[in-house]
Formats: sequence, structure tokens, C-alpha cells
Amino acid sequence: MTDEPDILALCCNWCGYNAADQAGAAKIPYPSGVKILRLMCTGMVDPYYILRGFERGFDGVLVVGCHPGSCHYKSGNLQAREQTDRLMGVLRTLGIGPERLRMDAASSSEGPRFAETVTEFSETLKKLGPSPLREVA
Amino acid sequence: MTEAERKVGVFICHCGGNISDVVDVNALREFASKQGGVVAATDFRFMCSNEGQAKLQKTIQEKGLEGVVVACCTPKMYEDMFRETAKEAGMNPYLLEIANVREQCAYPHRAEPGKATEKAKELVSAQVAKVLRLRPLDVKTAPIHEGVAVIGAGIAGIHAAILLGNAGHHVTLIEKSPTIGGNMARFDKTFPTLDCAMCTLSPKMNQVFNHPNVDLLTYAEVKDAVRTPGKFTITVEKKPRFVTDACIGCNRCTEACPVSGPKSPLKVESEWNMGLNLRKAIYLPFSQALPQLWTIDAEHCYYFQRNRTCGICAKVCPANAVDFTMKPEHLQLEVGAVLVATGYQPFEAGRVAQYGYGKYADVYHGLQIERLLSSTGPTEGKLVKKDGTPPKSVGIIHCVGSRDENYRSYCSRVCCMYSLKYAHLIRERTGARVYNFYMDMRANGKGYEEFYQKVASEQVGFVRGKPARVTDVAEAPEEEGKLIVVVEDTLAGAMLRVPVDMVVLSTAMDPGDVDGLLASLHLDKTADGFVKEYHLKINPTETAVKGVFVAGCAQGPKDITDTIAQAGAAAMSASIFLGSGEMTLNPLVAEVNPDLCRACDRCTDVCEFDAVHVDPESLRAVVDETACEGCGKCTVVCPTGAIMVRQFTKPQIVASIDALAPKAVAQ
Repeated sequence: MTDEPDILALCCNWCGYNAADQAGAAKIPYPSGVKILRLMCTGMVDPYYILRGFERGFDGVLVVGCHPGSCHYKSGNLQAREQTDRLMGVLRTLGIGPERLRMDAASSSEGPRFAETVTEFSETLKKLGPSPLREVA
Repeated sequence: MTEAERKVGVFICHCGGNISDVVDVNALREFASKQGGVVAATDFRFMCSNEGQAKLQKTIQEKGLEGVVVACCTPKMYEDMFRETAKEAGMNPYLLEIANVREQCAYPHRAEPGKATEKAKELVSAQVAKVLRLRPLDVKTAPIHEGVAVIGAGIAGIHAAILLGNAGHHVTLIEKSPTIGGNMARFDKTFPTLDCAMCTLSPKMNQVFNHPNVDLLTYAEVKDAVRTPGKFTITVEKKPRFVTDACIGCNRCTEACPVSGPKSPLKVESEWNMGLNLRKAIYLPFSQALPQLWTIDAEHCYYFQRNRTCGICAKVCPANAVDFTMKPEHLQLEVGAVLVATGYQPFEAGRVAQYGYGKYADVYHGLQIERLLSSTGPTEGKLVKKDGTPPKSVGIIHCVGSRDENYRSYCSRVCCMYSLKYAHLIRERTGARVYNFYMDMRANGKGYEEFYQKVASEQVGFVRGKPARVTDVAEAPEEEGKLIVVVEDTLAGAMLRVPVDMVVLSTAMDPGDVDGLLASLHLDKTADGFVKEYHLKINPTETAVKGVFVAGCAQGPKDITDTIAQAGAAAMSASIFLGSGEMTLNPLVAEVNPDLCRACDRCTDVCEFDAVHVDPESLRAVVDETACEGCGKCTVVCPTGAIMVRQFTKPQIVASIDALAPKAVAQ
């Protein structure tokens, strides 16, 4: 983390990724430390990807799927919620801290919401300081 | 092929300055050229232009590229096009990926060009890392079976079936009630032209009934549908009519049938007339019903309910058409496409208890008024109260069930207009005073506002307000023996008590009772309970299930004009789909490594699409590629990593994460 936190944003193809596109198309600025990885659904977010992100030095991981009830695949977002909730405890145990992982929903038209979410998350991480794993990595 | 061997090309688009004004494309090109596996890196003003695509193809062929990364706008724009272009040049299209440097770098970070360029480098390297690990995929196709099933023979299904038949497709039109026609056949007149509904519908009913390409299955219900590549196998149950095709339509059986007679303990309300009168156990729903075949309602027939003590219909039938031994028949249809046109049903008026439906004899719901106004209805078109006298005043309450968070939050879109139609017809035929109690007047169709103005000029009362209740408790002499509509006139700011002889409830449109059908076709519903279309705005006739189309009120409340338009569009979509001959199967679906699978069933537990099963012979999970949507839920719960979604495997995703990671620690 030089001046802004590095954030891995795991976005579903239908909502999160499109919301990010909308934010971009509307030229709403958000921190450049946000790196978006497109997955078909947040249902395919394996906790391992999140841990891998932290291991590789990301200061925070954000999972962005569809709103509950509007998952393109019915319930992938709910499974992602379960997985991320469960991982919070693990992150606490590991000393990374559950506040560095966040799951959010943004419909494909919610560009401003995406930009707000990542900006706010970036601010929070800035206050927390660099991920403790950066020093050991 | 191992990743070290794959030759990758990187193509950077300037987007006419949209990208290159912010991102340093020279630095990006230099960076890309140094990535492992990259044998060609180039930049161009517009990669999406014909020239840009020619450049892509030329480089693929000259350098023998086996993978491509295009750094440009969002993949939602041109990923498909670039893949097609690469395919034409001889490369496997699934080895092309997009680095979204416009929406994710140049646009949001344009105030920080240095950072935008650094981020663009990371996005490109992540996609190069992914492309090096991708596997070429074959696109499988399946031939599309001929024929289409249209479910529901109201105006939407009838219109779609005629068009599909005219286009040369073999159509099976399936209707659950004994006759085709749907709700429209119950209407007296249609707004805003006041055309006779049956005069416009009846010719269409006849046309579809006699169409050489349309098979009609009435009194038949879809019990199950199984989807295989390019084909739906539909199980239809034909209910027994207990009357054979020998029926000559003489009506002697109905005249003789004792059910619903004055002394008969067995009585049955007419569904056709919305419970306003009784019908016999052997009946024809209405005089223009098609097919003109009588039906015995076994649940209300003495022969079936009283131990075969009756049978008079069989005795009086001159054609020997009554056959009490008929059994339900199960037919299997094989079709390539399905068009869902299951229509609507009226909202249960009694649920809004304060309006007294079911409590007061002269409170009616909208479809009952249609029947009372219709010359084929129980009163032959005379609008009368239950006591047989015409009303001197009528109150029409709009939005009953609609636009009400206690019941249906949506606007049913037709109620304002049919309420105006009733107001006009009631005034014209009885001279009664008519009051409309409305929240907002929604007259948004061709000729609709004009119709509203016309009715407003006919001395019809309009009170803006949602009535609190309907009561028969009189508080003044003029209220004695009347129904009193208690309402706040929100324009005048006054509480009113309006005494009337008859109350009409303009009830919401509810979706049909079709949950089982939707489940067997794997169709979703929107929050309002209607069939979910592929895209509300730009694709309202297709569904998320390839080959299944939707039209009419099954998709949401609409009037006849819109129903006809949507049925035409859905028929066109279905016709194009059937005419294409074959469908491509999405290759980005789950795949099982049988060596790792332990048949634990966790994948089958989480799958929403019934797309993975453990094969009892081999004890390995098997994916149905036509049902799998590729969401990847199964890949997370699999304890051995045996199941993977193509192009989203763990090594591919991890390589991308590593490439995006902060460089100071990642290397």
C-alpha cells in the first residue's frame, strides 16, 4: 500500500461487474487500488480466493453480487454470503481482521452505489493501515 | 499444450482517445510485450473497426497466435465480436479475453493517468495469465426439434398459434378449460372502441380451430416438461369429457340433467358466468365455445357422485355420445419450443373485506359485470340487481387489490379503462347515476385519454379517493336500503357517504395458477408473481430458458392491444429460434474430473438447475450440459476439487488474482 489500499473486488458477471462498468461509463471516480476480477457468479467465490488475495498482499477483499432475490442463478449470492460470513471468523483468528472482507450487492444499474461502496471501503482500509500479511509476504 | 508454449498476442485499443488520452498506451504496449508468452503486442486507434479486426486476424495468422488479450472497453461490448473475428482467423475463440482498461482504468481514474496506466498493466497481465491457462473449447450444438407447444388458448395463445402456424410451424395449442377463448371471450365490449369482444375474437377462435398446422388440445393440462438439447418432452393430461366426438350439439342432455335444478341437492355455479348463475353437470360453457363438445363435470354429476343412480343424459342423447367409461389420457409431445400464454385470473375480491364482496348481494367484481352486461350472460345483457330490478345508481371502485401494499403493489394497467367502459355502458343501458372512485386516472394508450374525456362528458361522477369501506348501515333516510360508499374526496378535502344500489370492484389481475408449469419448465417469476422475461426492457418475449417464450398477461398485466403485440413478437422470436435449426450450447459450464469425484452428492445438493447427478453405475457426478448454467456453486462445495466451471477453474482464477496483487509482495 503506497498511498491507497489494494482491494481485490470479486464481481459477478451480471450485477457487480456491470455496476462497475456503469460507474466507469459515468466517469465516477473511485480509488485506483480497486482491482476487479470477473466471475460468472459470486456463488463460485471459493474462500480460498479470498485467502489467496490476502496472502498476496491485498489490504481488503470485496465480493459484489446481485441483490438477494435477484441472483441470475437464483441463489449463488446467498451461498457467497454464507461463505464470506464463515470466513470472517477465520480472518479474525488469523489476525487479518474480519473488517478487511466485505460482501455487498449492487444491481447492474447501480454504478454510483458501486463507486460509493469501494470508496468507503478504501477509506476504512486506509484507517486500518496496510494488511498485516504484507510484512510477512 | 502447456502454458509456456502458448503464443499470446496483446492488442491495445486507443478507443479514439477515450483510453489513450489517459492510459499511456506506449508504456502499456512495452509492458505487455515483456510478459511471458506474449509474442506480439500492438496498439491501434479503434480495435473494433474493420481495420482493427483485420489487424487482429492478420497477426493471429502471421504470428500463429494461440491466445489473445484485447485491452479495450468492457467485454460486454465486443467480447463476442472479437471472439468471432479470432475464430474466423483460425484461433479457438475461447482463448481470447478482454482487459477492460476503458471502464476500469481510463474512465474512473482519468484524473490520475499514472495510476490508470499502472492499473491497466495489471489488468493486462492478469488476462495474459488467464489466457495462458485456458483450454480451447468446442462449441457443441444440438438440432432443434420441430414444432412448438403454445400453452393457454386465450387471445395471446390463439394469436401466437395462428402466426406460428402461418409461418409453417407445427403448433400444439393446449388449453386447460373445455373451450378456447380465455378471459376475452367473457367480455362484452372492449375499450376504447367499444367493439363487441366476441365479434373480434370469434373469427380468430375459428381460424385457429380450423388451422391445418394447429393441433388443439382442450380440457388438457401440462403435467411435466423435460428439457434435453434442442427438445422439450411435454406430458399432457387430457381430462375425460365423458362425451365423445359423436356429440351433435343438440343440448338435450343439458336440458335433461337434474343437477342445479330447483329440488336438486347437487348444485354447481357457472365458472363461465363467474358464479352469477348455476349450470348443469353436462354443459357447454357458452354458445360459441370451441370445440362444440359438451363436457360432464364428474364432481357434480349424480352418475359419479351418487353411485350411478342417474345417467339420463346418456338416455336422451340421440348420438350415443355419452361415455361414462372415459379415463384421463396422457400424451407425450416432443417440441423444439414452448410459448407460455397462461393469462391471468381476477384477484379474489373478498380479500378486501371492507368492500363487502360476498357479504352484500349487490357488490360485484369486474368480470361479473362483464357477464351481466353481455348478451350471452345470465341476464342476457340486462344489468339488474340480485332482486331483478335495474340499479338507479352504481359506484365503481378502482384499484381493488392493485397498487395496495397489502395485496398487489403493481398497477394492473387495465382497470381504469374497463371501469370507464362500465361507466359508459351502465349509463347508456340503464340511465343510472355512476360514480368512479379512483386514486389516479391512468389512460395511457392510443385513444384512451380521448375515451376518458368522452366518458367524463357523459355526466359520470368522479371522486378522487380510495374508499374506506362499503356499508349498509344507514345514517340518514336517503341511505336506507342502499349500499353506502364511505370515501374521502381528496380533491375537495371532504369525507363523503355516497349511497348507491350496486357496487363494482375493479379488481387486480393476478397471475394464473401455474406454479407447477413454471417449475417444470425451470421458469422464474418476478416479485409480482408473473413469469420472468429475459429482459424487462429489451427482451420481454424470451425467457432465461432457451426455447421458452412468453406472451400476454402471463408476463404481466396488459390490455388486449399489448397482448396481441407481444404475442406477435413472441411468435416471431419462437419462429426464428425454430427456423435456426440448431442451438449452440454454452460451453462455460461445469465439468467433472471422474478421478477426483467421490460421489458425495454435495454438488447435487447446491445445484439450483438439477444439472448434476451422481451416476449410480460409475458412482461419479455427471453434469447435464444443457441444464447447467455455469454459476459454479458446486465448485465451492466440492471437497476434492473434482468439479470445475470451464474457463473459471481454480488455477485460472488464482493466476489472475496473483497477477492483480500488489507487485511488491507478489513477486
